[in-house]
Amino acid sequence: MRRASGAVHAPPPAPAGPGRRAFVTGALATAGLAAAGCAPPDTLISGDTRLRQWNLFAGGDGNRMIEMHDAYQAEHPGIDFRATTFTWGAPFYTKVAMGAAGGRGADIATVHVSRLESLAPGRLLDPIDPALLAEFGIDDTVVLPNIWEKCFFDGQLYAIPIDTHVLIQYINLDVCRQAGVLDADDRLVEVSGVDGYFDLLREIQGVTGGYGLSMDTWNPWSNFWALYRQQDGELVLGGDDFEMDEDKALAAMDVMYRLSEEGLAPRHSRDADTAANIANGHAGLMIHGNWEIPTLEAAGIEFSAAQFPAVFGNHRTRGDSHCYVFPHQRDRDPERTRAAAEYAAWMLHNSLTWAGGGHIPAYQPVVESAEYDALHPQSEYREAAENVQFEPEAWFSGSAGRLQEEAAGALTTLHQGTQTPEESLDQLKGTIRGLLSVPSPV
Amino acid sequence: MATSTPPAPRTAPGPAATASRPAAPRRRRWSVGSVALYTVATLAALLWFVPLLWAFATSVKTEGDTTVMPPTWLTENPTFEAYQLVLGRGDILRWTVNSLITTVIVTVLTLILCVLAAYGFSRFDFRGRPGLFALVVGGILIPPQTLIVPQFVLMTQLGLVDTYWGVALPQVVAPVFVFILKRFFDAIPRDYEDAARLDGAGPLRVLWSVILPLSRPILTAVGIFTFIGAWNNFLWPFIVTNDPEMMTLPVGLGTAVGQYGIQYAQVMASAVLGAIPLLVVFLLFQKHIVTGVAGAGIKG
Amino acid sequence: MTQNTRAPAPRPAPGPATTAPPGLVDVRRRPTDWTGLWFVLPFLAFYALFLLWPAVVGFGYSFTDRSLAGGDVSFVGLDNWSETLTDPAMYDSLWNTLWFTVLSVPLMVLLALGLALLTDHARRLGWFLRLSFFAPFVLPVTVMTLIWGWMYNPSLGLFNGMLGRFGIEGPEWLFSEDTAMFSVVIATAWWQVGFNYLLYLAAMQSIPKDVYEAAAIDGAGAWQRNGRITLPLLARTTALIAVLQLIGSLRVFEQIYLMTSGGPNFATRTVIQYIYDSGFVGLRIGLASSMAYVFMVLIIAASIAQFRLFSRKEG
Repeated sequence: MRRASGAVHAPPPAPAGPGRRAFVTGALATAGLAAAGCAPPDTLISGDTRLRQWNLFAGGDGNRMIEMHDAYQAEHPGIDFRATTFTWGAPFYTKVAMGAAGGRGADIATVHVSRLESLAPGRLLDPIDPALLAEFGIDDTVVLPNIWEKCFFDGQLYAIPIDTHVLIQYINLDVCRQAGVLDADDRLVEVSGVDGYFDLLREIQGVTGGYGLSMDTWNPWSNFWALYRQQDGELVLGGDDFEMDEDKALAAMDVMYRLSEEGLAPRHSRDADTAANIANGHAGLMIHGNWEIPTLEAAGIEFSAAQFPAVFGNHRTRGDSHCYVFPHQRDRDPERTRAAAEYAAWMLHNSLTWAGGGHIPAYQPVVESAEYDALHPQSEYREAAENVQFEPEAWFSGSAGRLQEEAAGALTTLHQGTQTPEESLDQLKGTIRGLLSVPSPV
Repeated sequence: MATSTPPAPRTAPGPAATASRPAAPRRRRWSVGSVALYTVATLAALLWFVPLLWAFATSVKTEGDTTVMPPTWLTENPTFEAYQLVLGRGDILRWTVNSLITTVIVTVLTLILCVLAAYGFSRFDFRGRPGLFALVVGGILIPPQTLIVPQFVLMTQLGLVDTYWGVALPQVVAPVFVFILKRFFDAIPRDYEDAARLDGAGPLRVLWSVILPLSRPILTAVGIFTFIGAWNNFLWPFIVTNDPEMMTLPVGLGTAVGQYGIQYAQVMASAVLGAIPLLVVFLLFQKHIVTGVAGAGIKG
Repeated sequence: MTQNTRAPAPRPAPGPATTAPPGLVDVRRRPTDWTGLWFVLPFLAFYALFLLWPAVVGFGYSFTDRSLAGGDVSFVGLDNWSETLTDPAMYDSLWNTLWFTVLSVPLMVLLALGLALLTDHARRLGWFLRLSFFAPFVLPVTVMTLIWGWMYNPSLGLFNGMLGRFGIEGPEWLFSEDTAMFSVVIATAWWQVGFNYLLYLAAMQSIPKDVYEAAAIDGAGAWQRNGRITLPLLARTTALIAVLQLIGSLRVFEQIYLMTSGGPNFATRTVIQYIYDSGFVGLRIGLASSMAYVFMVLIIAASIAQFRLFSRKEG
């Protein structure tokens, strides 16, 4: 038999070994059982309310969320709860949109409020009944108005905010103490204006021998937006044109350009490099999102934090809000919708744990509590929630949106020193013009 | 069975060797040339195993040991902790079951549809036959990858996104197998069918009791290749499933591992677990797979 | 594909005998017999619904501003087509696809040939060699990309770790625009070469023994045997493998998407990924449809040209 095996036609078929036959039979049986219903087998058996949550938290905030979910599940034994973390950014938003288009996606998902418009509220997102939410104690009285307003689209509520997250300034206490730039309470001495801030960085640089400030030069849009908004710079996006305060944009870009040009900040810093630079003392300060707090805690250095530096005279900062949305369902089940609303409210009520990851809770009773007051360095920058500057609403703006991604091309060159602010501004204007010329997909 | 084939020199060199080289007596002396040849061959084969071995070596380390530089092959504290953690999450098991369900649906339906169509085209004359057959053969040229967008829209309209049927159904359209099976059926002489027909067997009966038994080898080849192709298909299941609980093994491993972060022992443990099912199938069916490739030259 | 015309027939293949075989007599009593159609119909139904219909409506979508997010759809004429054809990123992705093909086809043909020659000569190891060279082919793509992504890791991976032992600072592999595509091609070759390898092996082992014996009598050594007999006899197989590999390489998407997501800086984004990015990430069904059509036409043209070339060689 073995010798003839090469001839494919051999009419008496080789007797299949028992192992193989059993394998095939088993496979068929499994498929037959499961294909009958579309849902995975075990969910057919369970009588619990099914609740599926999708999110994009993989770092320190992800760990906080898992901790909260464990507590939630312990308190809700009747809910068959499952959370899934997708890769941050476009992969996550694509799955949310495709799942909603198919109508069998998540019951509830965590998105950036700045991305609401790009998720086509009313079609990919289902509206949330404010009365249902109020039953669980969430309404406009417990959330800051600047955030709550962002959750509406065409007069209907689509999002439930859990936090505000912003760019803040981190302080390496060892380095800054040596540089003599701290007061008795370990707070940075107050400086104002570009020159004052640069002088401060030079003093710190004297101690580190490396940089004064660590910042992400790879995704610089957020830094730019904060600096631009500190000067009251406006970006008005029209149908096919836009208005921008060019002088203010140039001033913001000039700060970014000079920071790297004068060696006060790195030319290349991305991903984990940025936090590493302050953790290992190559820099004394860092501008980064408040979600880096767990990273620095894990690094074991002595650090504090403050609002975004007042480079242009105030502490405005770029920020966004994580919020819960209800992706569209083909057959919306009232029981699961109710469970989803209750889950969101529970997470808000318990967002002190969430604050541990650096985010500023949206639920005001938590922020005003004594426990939050005791959280350090979180309580140092809680006013930042009122200084948060959102991006103009457009389908391409917002966190992990196309504007942020494509503007990086122009802005990174400032840090690299390959373009002057004037050249960079021209490129940025071209980028925005290009995005406006794309027909809106929503 | 292939697994029991010993690598002994005197037996036929294995399934792919056709009968044209029977067990001819071979030289027994080892010349310098053949020593060099065997050395090179062995080294190449071992080199080919490096990625899998490295994955395994990483998977039995502790997370701390995975990031030690320079990397070591053997860890001092081997542990199956990573496997326990990965299996404990349950995802991999669920994705494997999903893969099995959808793959079996695809394989069974593909075989049924393609056999019926090939038989129809091979044995019957009907109006429009040449045109329809040309249409089917022309379909071989259409790259399914370019149809993902309208196919997904169709699935939203049919309500099949995030369902097993949504994963399986578009994959059962395999015009190339109709073509291959028809050519095979064409080559089976009609005389074989006459006896059955004289006994009063209808066309289905003839197909079942005459054609199919004669076609076991090609059916096995088509079945195995459909199975492997469907099991390993990434693009379509990736498009049509968003709910992690509905994902197949390749899609789940590629999409929802965000939660593993950079825990390389766990990532490699899940890679090893993901490799096992088809490696087992391969070892069980090695002979059929090898002759299948050799005989048909089928490739998606 | 030709090998199986030899294999299946218990006797010499009777050729396309379907026109008037004796066995059809009783089935064709009536002038119009639809039995055959009933057999063909189930397949055709699936074929029409899942292949032809998407191909047709996709063409229709390309003239609209249809969005994945739903909403009103309006006719936009040739806007999507002109955007596709004037978009530099579209040409970049076409170039990336072509570059992958140019790198991968020769590599995966020559590598397969080399490994097959090795196996054909080292017969005592036949089973072991076939196992090791073909096994990667059955791995799911994600398993391959997870493993190679880990080996390629610039700071902790196996490759740079090994190079580091010799004091060499290894490249950034998947993280540099200069090396990412090469890294993907190498990993792809390891993963997929087994199929071509088996095709070669089968062709080699079907070369009649007496051809070699005649050469041995003429005093040809092993190298000459390879050069003068084996390789020329493999020309047709090589052509077949090259065609299949070329068509396969042009359709590349998944391993690149999984290893680099098309980066860094889009240096490895292929056309299929750009279609995915436009249609699903960017929600623009209309635009993605026109891109898909442009690419489909290119691939079909390339396939037909290749098969023509191939069949001319054959004749």
